[in-house]
Formats: sequence, C-alpha cells, structure tokens
Amino acid sequence: MDHLTALENKSIFIIREAYYRFKDIAMLWSVGKDSTTLLWLCRKAFFGKIPFPVIHIDTTYKFPEMYKFRDEYAKKWGLDLIVGRNDGQVEAGMGPGKGTKLDCCNELKTNALKQTIAKHGFKALLLGIRRDEHGIRAKERIFSPRDEQFKWNYEDQPAELWDQYRSTVADDNHCRVHPILHMTEMDIWKYVQRENIPISELYLSKEGKRFRSIGCAPCCNPIDSAASSVDEIVTELETTTTSERAGRAQDKEDAYTMQKLRSLGYM
Amino acid sequence: MSKVMVLGIDGAPFTLLETYLQKGVLPNLARILKAGHGLSQMDAPVPDVSSTSWASFFTGTNPAEHGIFGFMELKPGTYSMRFPSYEDVRTPAVWEIAGGTSGMRDSGLKAAFAGAFASPAGSVVLNIPQTYPARPMNGVLTAGFVCPDLKKGTYPAAAYDYLSSMGYMSDVDSNKAVEDSAAFFKEVALSLEKRAKAYEHFLEKGGWELFIGVVTETDRVHHFFYDAAFDASHAFNGEFLAVYDRLDRLVGSLYDRFMDLTGGQGKFMTMSDHGFTAIKTEVYLNAWLRENGWLTLDSGKEYYEQVALGSRAFCMDPSRIYLNVRGKYPRGSVDPSQRASVASELKDALKAISGPDGSKVMKEVYLKEDIYRGRLMDEAPDLVCVANDGYDLKGNLKKSEVFGRSAFRGMHTRHDAHCIMPLGMMTSGRLHIEKLAPLILESLAGADTATR
Repeated sequence: MDHLTALENKSIFIIREAYYRFKDIAMLWSVGKDSTTLLWLCRKAFFGKIPFPVIHIDTTYKFPEMYKFRDEYAKKWGLDLIVGRNDGQVEAGMGPGKGTKLDCCNELKTNALKQTIAKHGFKALLLGIRRDEHGIRAKERIFSPRDEQFKWNYEDQPAELWDQYRSTVADDNHCRVHPILHMTEMDIWKYVQRENIPISELYLSKEGKRFRSIGCAPCCNPIDSAASSVDEIVTELETTTTSERAGRAQDKEDAYTMQKLRSLGYM
Repeated sequence: MSKVMVLGIDGAPFTLLETYLQKGVLPNLARILKAGHGLSQMDAPVPDVSSTSWASFFTGTNPAEHGIFGFMELKPGTYSMRFPSYEDVRTPAVWEIAGGTSGMRDSGLKAAFAGAFASPAGSVVLNIPQTYPARPMNGVLTAGFVCPDLKKGTYPAAAYDYLSSMGYMSDVDSNKAVEDSAAFFKEVALSLEKRAKAYEHFLEKGGWELFIGVVTETDRVHHFFYDAAFDASHAFNGEFLAVYDRLDRLVGSLYDRFMDLTGGQGKFMTMSDHGFTAIKTEVYLNAWLRENGWLTLDSGKEYYEQVALGSRAFCMDPSRIYLNVRGKYPRGSVDPSQRASVASELKDALKAISGPDGSKVMKEVYLKEDIYRGRLMDEAPDLVCVANDGYDLKGNLKKSEVFGRSAFRGMHTRHDAHCIMPLGMMTSGRLHIEKLAPLILESLAGADTATR
C-alpha cells in the first residue's frame, strides 16, 4: 500500500470509529485546506453522504473567497451546514481593531464555538489539526477530551497504542477527534493533488503572492510565491525552509507581548 | 584583561539596598562590599522604563542612538502600534563589540574599542530585557522581558535545549500577583531557583569573558508589593524579605564561584535599570490632555487610532508626549512650523499640574532636545515627563479621571537605580547607566581608562 493510501485508511478508520462511539458528533470546517481534506475523507468514509452536521465558525472577517467556496461546496456536497457566530460580540463591534487580537480570537472563535456546542449539545467534534503545525499540537492525541472551559490537560493523556482510543468523557465535557493528526503539510498537498480535492483559490499565487495558511483576512499575510497550481505548491514545499504559519506568527507574539505589558500596568 | 560578571537586579533601588544592608538583611552583599566594592546611586535614562534603560545599559548609548524609547511605538505615518524588539536596537551591545559580532551596527563606543580586543571575547548573557529575538553572537544569550518564544529567544540551539529541559522560566505570571498573591510568591521563588540553576550551569560551562545575568523577579514583586518593603506589619512583608534573602544568596554564590574562577582578579558588578518607590496616586496623562483641550478621542476606535483630528498631543507609556504634527500622523493637527512653541506651551502646562494634595506632580518636563542626542531624534517623543516620587505617570487611554489607584503599589524612579562595582572602577561624579558599558569593555580589554 502506498503512503497516501495508508494515511487515508488510518483517517477513515478514526472517522468511522468516532461516529460509532459518539452519535452527537459534528465536524469543524474552517474552509482551509486541512479541514477541506478532512471533509473529503468524511465523504469517503460514508460513501458521499456525511451523516452529521458540518460547523463553520464565522468570525465575519473571513476572506470573501472563503464564504463563496463554503456555500458552493455545502450545496454541491449536500452538507448539513451549521454556521456558528457569536452574534452578541459581532453586533458589539468586536474585531481585530478593537481590543487585542487575542480578545478578538477568544470572542469570535472560541466563544462562538462554545455557544454552538451548547446550543446543539455536541459531545464530540472532528477537527482537521495536524501534529506538524505547531509545537503544542505535537502533544495532541487522536481522541482528546476538553472540559467545559475548553481546557486541555495535556499532562494526563493515554498513549493510544494499537489504535486504542479513550472515548469516555464527563457530562460537561466534549471530545475532540483528530483524524488527520498524523498527516504533514506535504501529505495534505500530495493528497489534494492525488484526489483532486477542490481548495480555495487563495492558496494559489496571484501577482507573486499566495496564502499558505488562511483564516481571518486582517490577520493573515501572504507569502512570496509563484506557485499557481497544486503541483507547483508541492514542488515549492519540497525546497522551502520557512514555517507554514509564519504569516500568522507576528500577531501571536504581539498578542503575548500586549498581555504581558498589561499585566504590569502598561497600555 | 579581566573577566567581568554583572548581575542585573531589575528595579532594585539604591535606597532600599542601603536600608536592607544596615538592617543585616543582605549579608552576602555586605561582605562583597567589604571586599573592595562600592555601592552608588545611579541615574536611569528618560523615560525610566525597563526596555529603554536596559538598551542604554547594554549599548552604552542614548535612546536617540539605540532607538528604544519604550515598550511600544507607532508605525511610521500611522496610529497603529508596534512592539520594538532587539532588532530595533540600532547600536551594538557590549557582547557584540567584545565578541566581534556587531556587524553593521555602529556606535561611538564601538569605534572607541575598535582593535581593543586581540581576540573576540565570549559572553554569557542571561535574561536582559529587550534582547528578543536572540541573534547569533559569540557565546550564549537567552532573552529577558518580553520573550514570547524561548526557542527564538535563545542562542545557540543547545542552550535552548538545556533551558527547556530544566523548566527555565523567562518570566513569572504577574496576573497572579492580584488574583492569588500566595501563588505569585511561590512562582517567584520557583523562577529564582530556575535562574540560580541556569546561571550556575552557564557559569561552570565556561567559554566566556563577560557574564551578565539579570533577575527580573524583584521588579515584578516591587510593582505589586512595594508597600511591604519597609512595613513589618504588611501581610506580605515576610514574603518580600524572603525574595531579597534568596537574591542575596544567589548573588553571594555566583560571586564566590566567579572569584574562585578568576583567582580573585575578576571584576564583579551588580546594577539595576531604575529604582522603585511607593505609589501615592497614578496619573493618567491622556486624561489630563483631554481635560485640558490637547487631545480628543474617537471612542468608536481602539488604542491610538482614537486620536481625532484637532488633537495636538497624546501620551504613550509611561510619560512620553508626542505632538500630533501634520505630515507625521494621518490626523496631524499641529503645524510643523509651530512645533517648538506648542511644545514649550505644553511643557509649562504639564509642569503646573498639582496632585490631589496640592503638591507638584512633575519633577521635570524635558523637551527632546534637552535629553536626547543622536541619529534618531525624529523618532523621539517631543516631551518626556519625570514625576516626583509617588506620582506614577501612565499613558492609559481608557481613563477619564486624571488621578486614580489600581492594584499597583510600586513605581519606577529615575534617580534611584544602584550600582555596585570594584572601588578601583568608581569615578567621581554621579553615575549614569550609559556609563557602565565603557567600564565593562575597558575591564574586558584591559585598556587604560585614561586613553579612552
């Protein structure tokens, strides 16, 4: 069996296992390449018709191309799409220019998701995170419980040997399931290439720039790149040395700095 | 040529050390002083904020040369904020001059020591604020406040591996000081233990002529508990003294090891970047500017984007006043030709502010020309205020009252930093933090002071 097929099999096993263990399950779709790949795998796992809802957390700051892509494929693939939004904060004008960027992420992403989970009573969520994205994600498990505050106790996790997953969660908790945790950025692109998975045009180079990671428009910076097709992206990644989320790193450092300065009475 | 060790004690005031030495709280410092060292009061730069002051310390230059006027700046031609990093320090650090790694960065100090080092000197530089992200140098560096990522803040990679494996902490969580004071002091104690272990590790590893280690915990404790420093009845007086006791033991053991290593020939110093005193009241300069018609804020926006057309001045932490000059800012409202007269009018008005008890708030209000010199005068604030002790100046934009209190109990002072150095290195006249870098380089290079 080739490498990509082995990865695909593992992902599909996890997706079907999660669905078997949790009936109140949904998947998170950010419209980025990773969760779109996850969506593709879910469709494969259930022969084209996904038997649970797909949640898009809408901060209202996503790129217009992302909304278009979401609506087009939600229709084409017959998704049961739930759009989660923290309406109170959106109406109050929360945004990257108001408060810190950390406040903005917290209200429009984290709290929007908390509200959506509470409203629909989901006990498990499928997420398209990958171990190689960030240092802390390397510590993730495939089945990973969160408490009601979304806290993750990474110091107390089972080893998950031989595909044995712990899927019992307390009443006020939910379980996060990560079917593509074992894939790398390169695996994703090679799989997108092999399967011909549709992806947002934002990933493809226009006038010498493209996005390597997409999210909210004000907080994403494009990279210099001439790669205007998936084939060219694969070639580019084979030679690059910068990290995938480099375009997002400065914001995080600034948010950290601001928080630190505030704790000492500045700002 | 001698090895040099400098222990930085963030915010440790001269007057506090003097009192604690008299009370016998600092036995190790006392014996170091007896062994041929002197304690002096020292001036910090203006403003007396850590990032500016440490940059002056490690480059030996004025803020208009090194370019760090505070923790935060506005991006040129905008009201949008940015946080200057080590990359914004325009003049070379002492370890870069001594180690031959200053590259294109230039300063009078670098020129003065050109050719003074027969071979590049290695350094160990631990926890100095304003050194993030770390860049390659001759030795080891791990950045102090603010260090968002220890890996990026440490050079070389092996030093990061060691620090992360031993659970090194670049800073404590100051939010805890208010939420859970007991947990805060516990974290301070743990952080000091980690520092002691790491500093001893790098000291023993060798490969250095210059060793600089900074302790920041003192500053954090002072901010929240300075009222406990001299008040035996204060609930946290015991904890406060325990921090100084641990610090004293840390200084003592590093000093002993350093003297063993150098056969008593090494040059040993301690210093702080500013002093501290108790807060009577906080003073919100932007509220004062608004009340007196200098500043109008658009409440629909955030931070400095709020500066509205018609505003003549605004303040950034802690006490930097910028004139809202046309052409420099998007909603600039002061004609460039009027800059000098507006600045002098504002200076007089600021000097006249009196506090709730009727006493003068300002010790001095400086025009930038009075205090700064260097290539970066255009980046300097137009005026900087220095307050009398007890008046803590702040650039907060959210306050509507001019005076108020918060959880903070201690404020920085410009005039009460300290320095301990060998008696033979001491010079007459008042000491300024910018003067330490040449002294360090002279000791390292073994140069004759009189020739430089």
